[in-house]
Amino acid sequence: MENFTALFGAQADPPPPPTALGFGAGKPPPPPPPPPGGGPGPAPPPTAASAPSGADKSAAGCGPFYLMRELPGSTELTGSTNLITHYNLEHAYNKFCGKKVKEKLSNFLPDLPGMIDLPGSHDNSSLRSLIEKPPILGGSFNPITGTMLAGFRLHTGPLPEQCRLMHIQPPKKKNKQKHKQSRAQDPVPPETPSDSDHKKKKKKKEEDPERKRKKKEKKKKKNRHSPDHPGVGSSQASSSSSLR
Amino acid sequence: MAEKFDHLEEHLEKFVENIRQLGIIVSDFQPSSQAGLNQKLNFIVTGLQDIDKCRQQLHDITVPLEVFEYIDQGRNPQLYTKECLERALAKNEQVKGKIDTMKIPLWILLLRACNTPLPRPANLYLYIFLEDSSCCCFL
Repeated sequence: MENFTALFGAQADPPPPPTALGFGAGKPPPPPPPPPGGGPGPAPPPTAASAPSGADKSAAGCGPFYLMRELPGSTELTGSTNLITHYNLEHAYNKFCGKKVKEKLSNFLPDLPGMIDLPGSHDNSSLRSLIEKPPILGGSFNPITGTMLAGFRLHTGPLPEQCRLMHIQPPKKKNKQKHKQSRAQDPVPPETPSDSDHKKKKKKKEEDPERKRKKKEKKKKKNRHSPDHPGVGSSQASSSSSLR
Repeated sequence: MAEKFDHLEEHLEKFVENIRQLGIIVSDFQPSSQAGLNQKLNFIVTGLQDIDKCRQQLHDITVPLEVFEYIDQGRNPQLYTKECLERALAKNEQVKGKIDTMKIPLWILLLRACNTPLPRPANLYLYIFLEDSSCCCFL
């Protein structure tokens, strides 16, 4: 709105002009009526130079003054009023002119499949060609019957690459803020493979020292049962090493 | 008015979705998907019928041809609305400026040119006009 007011300025109604040659209601009384027969009613308006001439002073004082034509009434809509405000288009103006409108068609129709940002003249899909050369249509659209459907038997297998136009999507810019918002909005955020991997790694890291201890205990037990028992000193050393 | 557009929009969205699904079926066609293909083809026909029905309700809607040019060039049609509003405002300002310049300097010139006292009706006219308008500041 600030932009709008800065461009045009505050709406100010034009001052009400005089209704008939400046003699409206509540104004000073009109001049005395012209003498009978002396009123130049249909006479052409004199120019500004000729009006104030001293010779015609008495005549001008008596008859009507035709220096200026009647000003347009206040009800008449002219360019002096802010037409955008007059037609209640401030909201539309602020919407489209207040912020930057994205340039591409895919920004306007984000859910439309296919590459729609390319010019229509490339693949003869322009709306202009549809108007200039309208397709030949029958009276109505009839459903395709069984025998007609037999014509739609296709070859099995994938389409060649050059025919896969539907799968091409315009590249979308990643918006970090939107991502954050969507994550915050989701009640249960779906686990991405990277997240789950990270958790697994963490678990592994957490489990690692416990496993080491268990393994060492097993080793100790084995060693105790084994004929070659190293003794207390070595066991202490091993425990100290595990603590490290 | 908005209901008409909502109706058309809904039908167009359904139609586009059917076309998209048809594209998926066709892109890797299997003999088992023949029934689905036939069904989709008939959905498209019914979709076209629905869109054609909407045409009767929207016969009084006019669309500027320039919008089609924007769409054909792969540009956002909202840019057309934006440019229209900007153009309208610029023209509005231009006309307002013309009216103001035509109104005020004429009085100034008139008063400067007329060294001799004006006739009584002219004086009255000036008095009333200047009292009403904001032209007093220019005198």
